[in-house]
Amino acid sequence: MKITLKLVGGFVHTVGFSQKELDVEPGTTVADILASIAIDLGRPMIIARNGHGVQPDEVVQEGDRILVSPIFSGG
Amino acid sequence: MNGWTGQFLRVNLTDRTHRVESFSEEFADTWIGGRGFAVKILYDELAPGIDPLGPDNKLVVAVGPISGIPAPNTGKTIVAAKSPATGGYGDGNLGTRVTDQLRKAGYDALIVEGRAERPTMLVIEDDRVSFESAEEVWGKGTIATNDWIYSRFDKGAGVLNIGQGGENMVNFAVVRSFEGRSGGRPGMGAVMGSKLLKAIVVKGTKPIPQAFPAAMKTLGRDDLREVHKIDKEAAWSVQGTTGVLPWCNEVAALPVHNFRGTSHPDAWMVDGERVHAARVATYGCPNCTMRCGIAVLDDEGREAEVDYENIGLLGPNLDLYDLPQVGALNYLCDDYGLDTISAGGVLGFYADAIERGATPGEPLFGDAAAFKKLLGLIAHRDGGIGNLLADGVLRAARAFGHGSEDYAMHVKGLEISAYNCKFIPGMALAFGVSPIGAHHKESWIITYEVNQTPREGYGRDKAQKIVDLQRIRGGLFESLITCRFPWVEVGWGVEHYPVYFNTITGKEWKLEDFWPISDRIYALIKLFWLREYPDTDRSADYPPAAWFDPANADTEGPIAGRILERDKYDGLLQHYYDIRGYDTRGVPTRATLESLGLDAEASAAEAYATIR
Repeated sequence: MKITLKLVGGFVHTVGFSQKELDVEPGTTVADILASIAIDLGRPMIIARNGHGVQPDEVVQEGDRILVSPIFSGG
Repeated sequence: MNGWTGQFLRVNLTDRTHRVESFSEEFADTWIGGRGFAVKILYDELAPGIDPLGPDNKLVVAVGPISGIPAPNTGKTIVAAKSPATGGYGDGNLGTRVTDQLRKAGYDALIVEGRAERPTMLVIEDDRVSFESAEEVWGKGTIATNDWIYSRFDKGAGVLNIGQGGENMVNFAVVRSFEGRSGGRPGMGAVMGSKLLKAIVVKGTKPIPQAFPAAMKTLGRDDLREVHKIDKEAAWSVQGTTGVLPWCNEVAALPVHNFRGTSHPDAWMVDGERVHAARVATYGCPNCTMRCGIAVLDDEGREAEVDYENIGLLGPNLDLYDLPQVGALNYLCDDYGLDTISAGGVLGFYADAIERGATPGEPLFGDAAAFKKLLGLIAHRDGGIGNLLADGVLRAARAFGHGSEDYAMHVKGLEISAYNCKFIPGMALAFGVSPIGAHHKESWIITYEVNQTPREGYGRDKAQKIVDLQRIRGGLFESLITCRFPWVEVGWGVEHYPVYFNTITGKEWKLEDFWPISDRIYALIKLFWLREYPDTDRSADYPPAAWFDPANADTEGPIAGRILERDKYDGLLQHYYDIRGYDTRGVPTRATLESLGLDAEASAAEAYATIR
C-alpha cells in the first residue's frame, strides 16, 4: 500500500529527500518507516499522521501522510 | 561575590548624571539577574499609572551570572520597562555584545531614567559615562545608525539602537543590536525613543568575577564544541527556525489571512527549504554555535534576516507566498526597528478589517507593495492610519469598532506570535498567561501538545506543562540569562545550566533551587500588572474571541469544524491558577506571595488592589 512520507527541517538534509511516496506492507508501523530511512528514534522529534500527532508504534494505513520533524521552539 | 559584578549603573538623561550602586549577594540569590533584576527594579521604582512614554518610565538593560561567559549561547541581554503596548510589565531578550561588554564594564544592569533634551547616544566605557549627540542619525534606520556608530567605535563595542519606529514611539518598536537581533516586543524601542535615546554603546575591559575561571573556560569551550557537534548532526542550523513552518502548515497551526486560516497549499514557497536554498549569509549572536540568522535577498536585493515568526506573520498571515517579498517586509521592519510579529499582526488585522467592512479602504491581502508603504506610514506615524496602526491592534480595533475587536489577534495588547491556536487549547493558554502579553517564548507547549496529548484535551496536565516550561524558559533562562535554543532545539540538557552557574558563582545549587525563583519572578510580574490594572479579572488571560467562534472553525483539514470551547478553556485556566497558587482573578494569593518571600511587595500592592 502507498503512503506519503514528508520530512521537515534538518531531516531533509540528513536523510536526503523532502517528500517521497513509499510502498509499504500492511502492518508497517511508523517506527518501521523511520528505521528504513535511517532516522534515529532516539533523536527528539515530532511525528504527525494526516495532521494529527501519532506515536511510533502505530500502524500506518493506505493513503496516510506521515510528517517527521525535529523538535522546534520557534523564532 | 563571584558571578556578579555586584553593581548597577544608574544614568539620568534629564540632568546627565550617573552613579554606581551596589547590590548584595542576598539580592543576587533572590533574583539571579536578567528578568529577575529588571522586574524587581521596575516594581520598586515605578509609581503605578505613570506614562510609559514619559520621563518617569525607566529602561532596564540587565544581564545575569552566566551572561557573556563563553559557554553555549550566553550572549543574551534583557531590555525591560513599563510597556506602552500593554500598560503592564514588558521585556524581551536579544543577542548582543552589550552582554559581555556591560559585565566587563563592571555592571549587571543599566537603569536609564529621565528624558534627554536632544537625541542622545549614551556611551559607557568602564567607569566613564558620556552623553553624545545622536542628532546626525536621528531619523535614520537601524542599519545606517549601526554603520555610523561603528565608524566611531571598534567592532568589539556592544551597541543597542532604535530606528524610526522607536523615535516615533510606535507601540511595538523594538531595540536592535549590531548583530541583527531585536528584543523588547512590547515597545521597549518606543521607551528609548521617548527618552530621545537613539543608541547605547558599551565597552568594558575588566574581568568578570568568577569563582573558578579556569574550570569555566574549559567547561564552556568543551560544551560549545559539543553543542556545535550535536547541531551539525541534527542539521538544525541548515534551516534554523524556518523549518517549523511546514509542520505548522501540516497540523493546522499556521496563521493565514489574519489567523482566519490554519494552512495553505502555497506555504511551501516560504518554508525552510526555500529559505535554505536562498541563503546568502548567516548570522549569530555572541557565544553561539547554532547560528540561526539566515539572510536571503529581498525583492530589492537587500539582505533580509528571516526566521519562522517573521515569515509566518509577514507571509501567510498577509497572503504573501513570495520569499523575496516577505523578505522585503522583514527588512523594513528591522530597519525601522519594528517588531516583525506585531507588524504582521497589525497589517493582517487592518487588511481583515477592510475586507469585513469595519473600515474603508482598498483590499490589501496579497499586496506586498501596499504593505511596504503601510510599514513606512506606521514607523513615522504618518497620517491618520499610520498613527492609528502604530498603536497596535487593540487600539485600532477600538477605533474601527463594528465587531473588529473579535478578530484583533492579541492578548493584553500584545499581538500573537505565529501559531494559530483556534484548536490548540494548551498553546492558547500559554499565550493567555504569558507575563508580557501574547508571546511564544515563555511556554512553547505546542509541539508537545499536538504530538503527545489529545489535542482536544483541557486537562490539568497541560496547565502543569505550561508551568514547567515557564519555570525553565521564562524563569531560568531569562534570569541567568541565556538562549533557550540549545535546550529546546538540539536537546542540550537543562541540567548543564546549574553547572555553569555553580562554576561561576562558587555556589552549590541544584536545578530545583531555581524553580522558586522562577515562581517569584512570575508572581512579581503579576503584581506589577495588578497595580496597573487593579480591577483585573481572569478575562485578561483569555485569547481573542475569534478562537472561540464556531463560525471561524476550519471547513476542511485535520481540525475541520473544531474550535476552542470557552467553558473548557476557563477550566484549563483555573488549573493553571490552582497550580500557581493564584486566586480566581489570576492574582497570587497572600499565602503564595509569602511563600515566595514577597511579603513586602504584597503589602505595597495592597495600596492599590486587594490581595486575597
